Amino acid sequence: MYNNMNNNIKNHRPVYLNLLKIRLPLPGMVSLAHRVSGVGLFVSLPFIVYLLDLSVSSQNGFQQVQRILHQPVVVILEILILWAFAHHFFAGIRFLLIDADIGVEKTDSRTGAWLVIGAEVITVLAIVLYGVL
Amino acid sequence: MSLYVLEGLRPWVIQRVSAVYMLLFTLYVAWCLLGADTTVSYASWKGWLFAPFNTTAVGLFVIAVLFHAWIGIRDVVLDYVHNIMLRIFILGMLIGILLGSGLWVFRLLLLSVVA
Repeated sequence: MYNNMNNNIKNHRPVYLNLLKIRLPLPGMVSLAHRVSGVGLFVSLPFIVYLLDLSVSSQNGFQQVQRILHQPVVVILEILILWAFAHHFFAGIRFLLIDADIGVEKTDSRTGAWLVIGAEVITVLAIVLYGVL
Repeated sequence: MSLYVLEGLRPWVIQRVSAVYMLLFTLYVAWCLLGADTTVSYASWKGWLFAPFNTTAVGLFVIAVLFHAWIGIRDVVLDYVHNIMLRIFILGMLIGILLGSGLWVFRLLLLSVVA
């Protein structure tokens, strides 16, 4: 009986880390998303610099940038970059506050993570709906 | 590990100081956007970017982004890429992209002073 139980436990032990089976708590998700959004912003950097240069090169270049920014595929990318920026911005503020010992405890940490998600969703929706893009 | 130049507490501090500057810069740009006309013209866009205060603020922002992005992406690469040669290769490519982008912005900012 004892032996059987022992085997049972052994059988259910994961032999490798299946990342898809680990349910990350919300603050963990925000932390991971901070990293993913950071990499995304890094990737977008050269393209933004290119558009910045084109926008100040000439009147023609400026209009070209406006045309590029209004293409449907580019608009989707803009919203993704905006979202990445908003997340990185608010999650970054949260990490700075955690450095200052604010929002470290488990419940505060969860509240902070929810505030980050709320703030980024509101920011992205406000900018997209306001029609800046 | 002196290969990575920035070690110990220093990158931690740089990451946070640059973050605070970029935070303030973002608020300043948002404030400017809220006060701007809905249709931005070529002239008004250049007028904004090449106003001495804004050129300086953007220049400092670029420096902050370069440090911040370098430390951030370096930590990601060090976490996931363990082969030392591959690490050096990837980090070299990434710092090339960063410095290239940064110098490109400085070029266009400074050309406004020359022209």
